Amino acid sequence: MSDSTTSPLRRRLLAGGAAGAAIAGAPFVSRLAYAQSLPIKIGFPTPLTGAFSAEAQDQVRAAELAVKEFNAAGGFNGRKVELLVRDDKLNPGEAATRTLELIEKDKVDLIVGSLSAATQLSINAICKSRKTLFNSISQSDAINEAKDWSFYTFHEALTPHATAGAVARYAFPKFGKKVVYLTADYAYGHEMVRGFQRAGQAFGMQTLADIRHPLGAADYSAFLPRIQALKPDILVLCNFGRDLLNSAKQITDFGLKKQMKVIAPVLLYTARQAGGAEAFDGILGGTGYYWGMEDTIPSAKKFNDKFRKAYGGAVPSDYGALGYAGIRSVLQAIQEARSTTATAVANVMRKMRYDFYKGTQFYRLCDHQSVQSIIIVESKSTGMKDKYDVFKILSIEAPSESNLRTCDELGHKVI
Amino acid sequence: MTKTAQTDFLPRATAFIAKHRVAAVLAFLMIFPLVMPYEALALNILIFGLYAVGFNLLFGYTGLLSFGHAAFFGVGSYLTGIVIIRFGLSWWMAIAVGTACAGLVGLVIGFLAIRTRGIYFSMVTLALGQIVYYAFYKAENWTGGENGLRGITVENFGIFGIQLDILNPLTKYYVLFVFVAAALWLVSRILASPFGAVIESIRENEGRCAACGYDVARAKLLIFVLSSLICGLAGALRALHLSIVPIDSLHYLLSGQAVMMCLLGGMGTFFGPFVGAGVFLYLEDVATVFTTHWMAVVGVIFMLFVLYFPRGIWGTLIHRWQARRVHAGEAR
Repeated sequence: MSDSTTSPLRRRLLAGGAAGAAIAGAPFVSRLAYAQSLPIKIGFPTPLTGAFSAEAQDQVRAAELAVKEFNAAGGFNGRKVELLVRDDKLNPGEAATRTLELIEKDKVDLIVGSLSAATQLSINAICKSRKTLFNSISQSDAINEAKDWSFYTFHEALTPHATAGAVARYAFPKFGKKVVYLTADYAYGHEMVRGFQRAGQAFGMQTLADIRHPLGAADYSAFLPRIQALKPDILVLCNFGRDLLNSAKQITDFGLKKQMKVIAPVLLYTARQAGGAEAFDGILGGTGYYWGMEDTIPSAKKFNDKFRKAYGGAVPSDYGALGYAGIRSVLQAIQEARSTTATAVANVMRKMRYDFYKGTQFYRLCDHQSVQSIIIVESKSTGMKDKYDVFKILSIEAPSESNLRTCDELGHKVI
Repeated sequence: MTKTAQTDFLPRATAFIAKHRVAAVLAFLMIFPLVMPYEALALNILIFGLYAVGFNLLFGYTGLLSFGHAAFFGVGSYLTGIVIIRFGLSWWMAIAVGTACAGLVGLVIGFLAIRTRGIYFSMVTLALGQIVYYAFYKAENWTGGENGLRGITVENFGIFGIQLDILNPLTKYYVLFVFVAAALWLVSRILASPFGAVIESIRENEGRCAACGYDVARAKLLIFVLSSLICGLAGALRALHLSIVPIDSLHYLLSGQAVMMCLLGGMGTFFGPFVGAGVFLYLEDVATVFTTHWMAVVGVIFMLFVLYFPRGIWGTLIHRWQARRVHAGEAR
């Protein structure tokens, strides 16, 4: 790991030093105070290596910011928080093993983290059987469904269904009725298409084709003439990460943007940074957070300033912000519950209203999905103030339970 | 006098261990979880060790390099999970079903693949393994597709009326260990049998083996199926260990890992695959904690071993010991 503040070795040394200091000072403190000084441990499995390492490392940076803030404010009853970052390598088997390690060996109090549908589901499966609280900070539709969900499952991130729906509600009335989907052929892609089509019904949208490409495809030239021939008003790119970048680049080169509006359910800050202005120029999409919200949202401004101060002027990305919010909400719940047990913390989180970075949010009771605003952005290629200024905010959809799949549909008995 | 007693002790002890290799390996694996950093890693090594042992039957002992063994591992995992989730079978029945299905897939793939030799054999097994991968990937309703299979929870985990707590990592280790022990005994028994000699003779000289009157094709198919059964059992145990089945368990990278583990530990040795799996997974685990460039660390160490210990770690140790014994015999 290049970032020394996240080095486990250093953390271990610090912890060792702290333990040494505690032992040295032992005669002067009561036994009660010593018990209270044991740290609260939060496990943080995330793919530090693999295709999403840039996003994951930003998650860690923001999570550590939240931990530092909490510790600086005195912690909980004098107990400090320790963040145990583990690399799950974007591999569900590794994620499950690491989660077992965190629970069985490190005895963490709760777990926050993950980035990818499959790894969060595997972490959730382990946490569920061991009744450990897990706050997931990555998108997935499946984790809210009754089959996977448990009382100890919380979902801080948006769902693909909600994000796609918000983008559809913004874009479909503006750009025409005929749609072609270019979809990565896996669960996440299919969930996105489902979200668009559901929202599109209200506007009488017509799906001309749902073209599936294999996950991780490098060459999209075979699909582009067909899309051109279909003459849609809107082309929706239901893919993610490198796939989105590669397809956007090739669509730009092929000149499709002149004939149709290109939209993507999720437009990531990190992907746009890596892909450059030209490839993403004019593409419209949804996101959970963009730092530019600070002009209108005071909590975003506060969060950005803290992040800038800690990391040399850099702004947090969307997934980074989730790392921050995921940690802060469990810490606030620990404070309010005056306890670190999973049940007590979960009960507080169920009732919590919080505003850490993007306006007011709360967890829906039936599936613990964080109900939150969704930001619609368009990628800029001109008039950028600095290297962080990449998106124009078109609209912010207010949080609403009605934009989520219903509790009934997810298989929950309505509480 | 004392000097001869000392020099006699080591060869005698090693000869004793070599004679009771299954017991020696099992004794080692009994204390293994106590020396590992955490039990989940010990279980991973136990399971992948068994997987590599199964693969080694074909690769190390018969000389057939398969690149499709993840198919058996994955089928074992998925079927174990599916029958628990869908049909509510008890966990040990599920292990039996998972293993049997892996054997069945092994029979089909083996039947098609043993007609070819050398690199063609590797390519055919790779292709057929990929077919299995995509079949499971696409059968989303049954396997969960990209998201993997979740929800393999065993409510009533016990056997013969004894209730066991599978959430306790040590209990889980020793329960799954019983299956590994049985499989290792079976492998040792196969290798010590006349059939074991036949497969080794296929590796040494296939033409001569056939000329001696052995049905080479049948022997190959049989060992292929046995190998897939062992790998399927390893997969079945993993489904219970992790309570999920990731789609990666069918991926060709996992087939490649079996080759790496065998080479690292020593192909064609009984305990080598375990050593390989242990070193590989332990290195990966430790390196990951210190650097995100863990792949470079593991890769360099692997290359060093291949360059300087071409017989593998365990293979080199055995070779050195045997060489010493020969020298000692000459001196006498």
